[in-house]
Amino acid sequence: MALSLLLSLLVAQAESRQPYESTYEPMAVVDFVITGANVYTGSGEFFENTDVVVREGRIAAVGGSSDELSMVGLSMDGLRRVDGSDMWLSPGIIDVHSHLGTYPSPYISSTQDGNEMTSPNTAKVWVEHSVWPQDPQFDLALAGGVTTLQILPGSGNLFGGRGVTLKNVPARTVQQMKFPGAKHSLKMACGENPKRVYGGKSQAPSTRMGNVAGYREAWAKAQAYQRKWAAYREDDSKPQPDRDLGLETLVGVLEGEIIVHNHCYRADEMAYMIDIAQEFGYRIGTFHHAIEAYKVADLLAQEGICSAMWADWWGVKLELFDGVQQNIALVHQAKACAIVHSDSALGIQRLNQEASKALTSARRMGMNISKAEAMQWITLNAANALGVGEETGSIEVGKAADIVLWDDDPFSVYAHAQKVFIDGHLYYDKQDTTRQPRSDFELGQTVGGRR
Amino acid sequence: MKLANRLGLLGMVVACFSLNINGYAQTVVITQVNLHSQNDDGYRFDDHSTTSVVVKDGQIVAIGSDVQFPAGAQVLSGKGLVMTPGLFAAYSQLGLDEINLEASTIDSMLDDTGYGPAFDVQYAINDESVVIDVTRVEGVTHAIVAPRVGPDPLAGFGAAISLSSPSTLLQPRVAMFGQVGSNIATKVGGSRAEVIARLRRGLEDLRGFRATRYQAEPKQYSRYDMIALKQTVDNKLPFVITVHRANEIRQVLSLAQQHDLNLVVRGGTEAWKVADELAQAGVAVILDPLNNLPRSFDRLGARNDNATLLVQAGVKIAIVVSDSHNIRLLRQHAGNAVAHGLDWDVALRAITRTPVEIFGLDDSLGKIAVGGPATFVLWQGDPLEVTTWPTQVMLDGEWVDPRSRQVRLFERYRDLSTATQR
Repeated sequence: MALSLLLSLLVAQAESRQPYESTYEPMAVVDFVITGANVYTGSGEFFENTDVVVREGRIAAVGGSSDELSMVGLSMDGLRRVDGSDMWLSPGIIDVHSHLGTYPSPYISSTQDGNEMTSPNTAKVWVEHSVWPQDPQFDLALAGGVTTLQILPGSGNLFGGRGVTLKNVPARTVQQMKFPGAKHSLKMACGENPKRVYGGKSQAPSTRMGNVAGYREAWAKAQAYQRKWAAYREDDSKPQPDRDLGLETLVGVLEGEIIVHNHCYRADEMAYMIDIAQEFGYRIGTFHHAIEAYKVADLLAQEGICSAMWADWWGVKLELFDGVQQNIALVHQAKACAIVHSDSALGIQRLNQEASKALTSARRMGMNISKAEAMQWITLNAANALGVGEETGSIEVGKAADIVLWDDDPFSVYAHAQKVFIDGHLYYDKQDTTRQPRSDFELGQTVGGRR
Repeated sequence: MKLANRLGLLGMVVACFSLNINGYAQTVVITQVNLHSQNDDGYRFDDHSTTSVVVKDGQIVAIGSDVQFPAGAQVLSGKGLVMTPGLFAAYSQLGLDEINLEASTIDSMLDDTGYGPAFDVQYAINDESVVIDVTRVEGVTHAIVAPRVGPDPLAGFGAAISLSSPSTLLQPRVAMFGQVGSNIATKVGGSRAEVIARLRRGLEDLRGFRATRYQAEPKQYSRYDMIALKQTVDNKLPFVITVHRANEIRQVLSLAQQHDLNLVVRGGTEAWKVADELAQAGVAVILDPLNNLPRSFDRLGARNDNATLLVQAGVKIAIVVSDSHNIRLLRQHAGNAVAHGLDWDVALRAITRTPVEIFGLDDSLGKIAVGGPATFVLWQGDPLEVTTWPTQVMLDGEWVDPRSRQVRLFERYRDLSTATQR
């Protein structure tokens, strides 16, 4: 009897879940208060010596006297205390551009799962089906304070496929990492990569104009596909159209269900990508790498498009030759959405330092930007770009307690993440080796940068 | 802002560049500066001592708290500033590689047929490379320029350069570079054993080698390769081998002992495992402290504190940046090594003085000492921090123009309302 009840419950649960949906479950957590920390909110503010209360995995209070706390039904009595004095608290770091799990360590022939370079349009592929949850790099990123990350397909194709937003939690399946409710993304790529990959095979595209024709043709097909399905939905006596997985992705963009993340270095390319989006009626969420965003920061501000940038990486290709260290600051100054991203299993471990260098380069040139503002580049702005800014990315009441406690100002090269919480659960503790996840691959081998 | 600020800043930039307008070495006194001379003379960051440094005719002519100011000297207050020697990159492709994916701008490598010890990069070094320009303004004044390791275990000669123009080449044929590991194994038939065997055969062939009588058999080095190898071994030039896995580091150590090589390990991901053996053999390690990924089966033992463990065992280390376009990140890399336990002074030394020692260069380099070249950097704080920057760089007695190509791009686009004017 009990068994059959259990079985029927399981069946019910299985039925309510759509295929591919997240199976992430927040860990059961105890309520706690971090006392007396220096708090970067991620939303542009900084508070010294401030208490942050976490209840049921969410931020319940930031600062405030015990009287104020009791007004919202909170009492400091009985709350577990985490001493944050002489420490710094920031939101969990968010990387909008990562290939962890798809270009894992070890980076060997059998693990190259990040770039389906067999056709310039692979909008049909979903990168989550390449993510290896046992990549030791996830754990290293966690030690760097990264709590949320977007995995994108590579940039060899005009349309690389769907990206996925993950919570950086140890898991057996990728579904257990998927950020609940986060939209898929579509990776697009401008410039040298697609034309080199396919031009090298004597097929289209081999030029930048070939790239643009490739995007436009695909969007025109997507519109036709959308019309076909709309007609069928209006009149289902018609035969049901065949499904096309690639066009489903593009239609998802046209209908606002999928966010465009567009690898694009050069200013002139960004400008014509905006035209293409206008022609076909979709929005570009973020230009990635955006080495020349500083040249069109006004346009990006006007269009409400984010730029995900490096602090100082440059020069590998001609389209990266005009990199400047003030790129991020200039985009920020133009009131466009500026994000520091990594695209690197090394860089993701110290995005705080990358943001710091971007800020330092700006200050060196006399630009007046505060650390509290710069913190947005790796937290709230990134969360907004992924469409999860209501849920994470800042230390504000009601949001998920995705937070990092640092032993020094995270803008310092000497700072380490001491404790990393995701939904209020302590996933990483620098002082406690039992709170330092290790992937299966690391077991019995001296890997992972730690022992 | 702050227009006044901006103008003030620009004014400062113009002023310090104008000092250099005639290209003549300056007579300068920097007073009350926090000096880290690397000259083992007791001036250290942590004791907060300040001193004056006098520069004349391209040289440091006096250091001390009670120095005479030469007539006509420009006096700069060094108050609050930190002075270090110019930074030294112990490995790079500066001046060889401009844009990685543009073959016409890449001179650090040959195709599969050309590699071997006779390859010598000195003839390709371009002192006007933008990469040098961008690197110099960040306080890097010297570098080792090396061939990229290729299909042969030995890749050829590297050179020491000064990041000045046009007198860039400081010492050609400064060291032999090579690699041991899976990358090379795939090029020599598929086994790591054959990589070591090739090195052994080449070194054994040196015994009794006479250039005029030598005729290469198949799989043997050419006459020119043998001459290069002989020059390396006879002159005890640094034999810089990129090697990561512990068992292979041991193989290379044993080879070095048998053939009396001046071995230097580069990369050395698992060097911490053989730290005692390296220390005993007096072998230095050139490493990138950020490389903590178990990126391959050569590097499963990667860890953040490799540098710290090596230094604890008594191994001399130099800290480098793997990406040659971002050699300017030397100090961030050194700072991260400190964050993982390395002594601050050792870390600074690993990017200034230690490379000079490892490569056996002129003793006056990599330090600030009376009688030595006036090559130094003024920082407005801890140079290993990511929150600081160099305020001025002096190279051989001349102020470095701070306006690199990147700075000029920034200036052009900082105000987009005027940016279309060009």
